[in-house]
Amino acid sequence: MSNVREQSHPSNGDLTSPAEGDLKPYVVFTQLNRGDPHMYAGCVDAADQQMALQFAREHYGQDQKCVNIWVVPKEAVTATNYDTDLIWRHTDQTYRLARGYSKPVKDKWRKLRRAEDLKEYEKDDLKETF
Amino acid sequence: MSGSANVGVHVDHARDEDPAKMAEFEAKINAGELLEPDDWMPQAYRQGMLKMAEHHANSEIIGALPEGEWITRAPSLRRKLALTAKVQDEVGHGQMLYRVSQDLGKSRDQMLRDLITGRTKYHNVFNYPAPTWGDIAMIQWLIDGAAIMNQKTLADGAYGPYVRTMKRINMEEAFHFKSGEDMVLTLMSGTKMQRQMGQEAFDRWWYPALMFFGPPDKPHAEQLPPMRWRMKTVTNDNLRRRFINRFAPAAIDLGLKIHVVKKDDNGMVIERKPDENLRLDETTGNWSFTQPDWDEFYRVIRGNGPCNAKRLALRRFSYEQGRWVRHAILRGNAGLPPAA
Repeated sequence: MSNVREQSHPSNGDLTSPAEGDLKPYVVFTQLNRGDPHMYAGCVDAADQQMALQFAREHYGQDQKCVNIWVVPKEAVTATNYDTDLIWRHTDQTYRLARGYSKPVKDKWRKLRRAEDLKEYEKDDLKETF
Repeated sequence: MSGSANVGVHVDHARDEDPAKMAEFEAKINAGELLEPDDWMPQAYRQGMLKMAEHHANSEIIGALPEGEWITRAPSLRRKLALTAKVQDEVGHGQMLYRVSQDLGKSRDQMLRDLITGRTKYHNVFNYPAPTWGDIAMIQWLIDGAAIMNQKTLADGAYGPYVRTMKRINMEEAFHFKSGEDMVLTLMSGTKMQRQMGQEAFDRWWYPALMFFGPPDKPHAEQLPPMRWRMKTVTNDNLRRRFINRFAPAAIDLGLKIHVVKKDDNGMVIERKPDENLRLDETTGNWSFTQPDWDEFYRVIRGNGPCNAKRLALRRFSYEQGRWVRHAILRGNAGLPPAA
């Protein structure tokens, strides 16, 4: 370091400039294709929403195709607690899922229909189900 | 459960729109892109989508009413749990679709009020009675089955928020349909009395299921705005044909007879005879059938169906009884514990 800088900023002791506080955290959601859901990507620290958007573009919008970004102040996010909030069912709730009926339905149909008719009929069943 | 196939989406051709913007809009649609609420779209498209989503939302919450009546009378605990879950799903679908509609520019409270006062409509199929448990089984098999067929095609539409909502709804509908199928199979594999209950319920629901897809196609339906702008992707008659090709042979294999029926003012069958037009055309693979009574369809739409007044009266009752709850919530004083 040059003499001038060494002399004007001593290397120990308290700083002469006051503490400034942090930027605010923003949660970033990116959308990879139009029409897709926005997905949690991470966080940035920024002074305001516009700055957060700018940082999010740099951090999360450059390493893969990305068509849209949302930023939300972290303090606006309310979340559940892993230990105290039960979310997913812990008893048998197959009565409210399509797969809870697949086997009994198939067994009953088999007594009534030819295999190829059943296959034809099942073509219109939804593939994506809960 | 419901689809919005029978809502008359009368979209005026966009006369006064900027031709350059119109061209860009139609190019996007033709390229298979999804439109988002903030994208430019002709006024007629926004209004048409709002009407469609609002009608669909209304149908979900009205559709829960006849089924809700049967929760306390379900024949077993498992059926009771399933029916409770289904009704909860349907009301949830209503919530999602009102959200889509709100983003298109109408307030939720206004939509709820317009429904109750008859300014807007809901799906015709919910104006028919469900007098036995057999009806609950047939509604879940035929009407939810019809809704899935319709909504699968609506999920190929162009309006992003509606398309995403359809996908989510369809995943839940699969449970409704499967449990309905299980109920119908149980009835039709049961005692003589159970099979008779199944047949009588089938007679009440077969024609409402055929009418579910809406009136016969207008000429050149593919070129009219609802199809051209991919608000819908398959015409009413094509959906109806798919439905019959799937369900007529299944019904026959279940031991059900397909009847042409005459109903009284309460929606109960007073006369029935076998559908003599029902047969499979081996060359096309399509089933022919006797068309629904379209006069009845329009009579029920105009408010003169068996249950129109009853359904709206119940909706009005719960809207008015629930006022204090909304009042408390809107003022941030709902008495809920603070979030952790």
